[in-house]
Amino acid sequence: MRYGMVIDLKKCIGCTGCALVCKVENATPPGIVWLRVIKHETGKYPQVRRVSIPLQCMHCAEPPCMEVCPTGATSKRADGIVDIDAEKCVGCRYCMVACPYDQRFFLAKERHYFKNGPTPFEQIGYQRHQEGVVSKCNFCAPRLEKGLEPACAANCMTKARTFGDLEDPNSEASRLIRDRGGYQLYPELGTNPSVYYLPA
Amino acid sequence: MSSVEPFQIRIGDLRERFRPQREWAEGPGLLLIAAHFLTGSGAGAWLVAVLLGLRPGLMMGFSLVAVGAFFHLLFLGRPERFWRMMSSFGTSWISRGIVGVTLFLASAAVYLSLTLLGLGETVLAGAMLFLSVLGALWVVVYKGFVWASSKGIPLWNTPLVPVLYIAYALRGGTAVLMLLAAAGAAQEPLGSLEPIKLWLAVSTAVLVLIYIDVMRGSGMTALRSVNLMLFGRVALPFYFGALALGLIVPIGIGGFAYFGDLSAAWLALVGCLSLVGDLSIIYCIAKAGLYRPLPV
Repeated sequence: MRYGMVIDLKKCIGCTGCALVCKVENATPPGIVWLRVIKHETGKYPQVRRVSIPLQCMHCAEPPCMEVCPTGATSKRADGIVDIDAEKCVGCRYCMVACPYDQRFFLAKERHYFKNGPTPFEQIGYQRHQEGVVSKCNFCAPRLEKGLEPACAANCMTKARTFGDLEDPNSEASRLIRDRGGYQLYPELGTNPSVYYLPA
Repeated sequence: MSSVEPFQIRIGDLRERFRPQREWAEGPGLLLIAAHFLTGSGAGAWLVAVLLGLRPGLMMGFSLVAVGAFFHLLFLGRPERFWRMMSSFGTSWISRGIVGVTLFLASAAVYLSLTLLGLGETVLAGAMLFLSVLGALWVVVYKGFVWASSKGIPLWNTPLVPVLYIAYALRGGTAVLMLLAAAGAAQEPLGSLEPIKLWLAVSTAVLVLIYIDVMRGSGMTALRSVNLMLFGRVALPFYFGALALGLIVPIGIGGFAYFGDLSAAWLALVGCLSLVGDLSIIYCIAKAGLYRPLPV
């Protein structure tokens, strides 16, 4: 079992709904952006294209963040999810400089979105976040335990995201990678990411 | 005018193609730079002091490593959990470094205590001295590998960084001993240190030039980082701190020392400037670090 995500750049319209639902699902404080969408323009007038590329933790099969973590706080689960145990993290931020995808975030101090203190939603959601430690996308592991897909995949309005088992050749994710020429970011670094992109 | 919150800077960085590395170079990150500077110079001072038999240097070297280790703790988001940092010795250079620093501090403390009690010639003291030298070598070596193992930042991700850090640690250690000797804390002649210092300064200058030249040809991100050092926002500490004060002036004064004796004040100046240079180069390399752009 190796969970992975396939993102079809042809279907992605750059609505940033995945980034928004990630924030809501995980109640991440200001400055903590587990999922973001970058916009990229290619070509020259009049042949110009704008491509939206969602970015999140790649859940690498060979994660450099796990290798450098001095406490063992970062680990790879049997299902391929690279997770952080906040209780073990010392906040040295070594994983942040080791991650070639810049997908880790350090919460120096808890902040709120509004001046009058935390909202009831923040009060509940922020219990999952500790000050002084690093955090990142965990493929919505609590949702997976309930048999649900990650929030970004479940809420993508154009169905650009396909979540599944990359080790199962019959899964939809594996089929898309095979048939549509799915590619990884920075394969030359040997990290073997579990997030694949389908060409736009 | 309202100040910009760190998280707003971070959000701004995420929009950049070449995103600057800030965690280890700004704000609390300066503590890490100070920690690496102090532990490197301290361990270097211990090694050179053992080699030349300069006893006051041992105490100073130990103190610097201890202060550096404390700065390292202050940098952590959760310093109360520091003991966990030894658990990944097999893969993490920070973990290996913490083991090395602990080995050094423990063995050096026992050795210094035995020496103060007049038991410096015993077998136990000899064993502790051996372990402390091992620990000091470990401390001098590990720091460069911490930076070099960061795959996200091409400027650091090169085997030249550990070599540079070893050279700077030994140079810094010698500079500390020169300061001590010039201040009269050491009775030994200053002459034994100056040739070592000059040789280290020249070889370090050559290493810096090689490093800059190699990184210019190591891809677009590394080239951008080098340009930050040569022409960008890191140029001032690089030219003024690392090159002028840290290398050119000490080498110049060291060269004059071959034609005549220099006073203790001049040698103290060389020591001070060398330390400024050491701190500057660590800062420059950290500050000029840029993340690889995402291949889109």
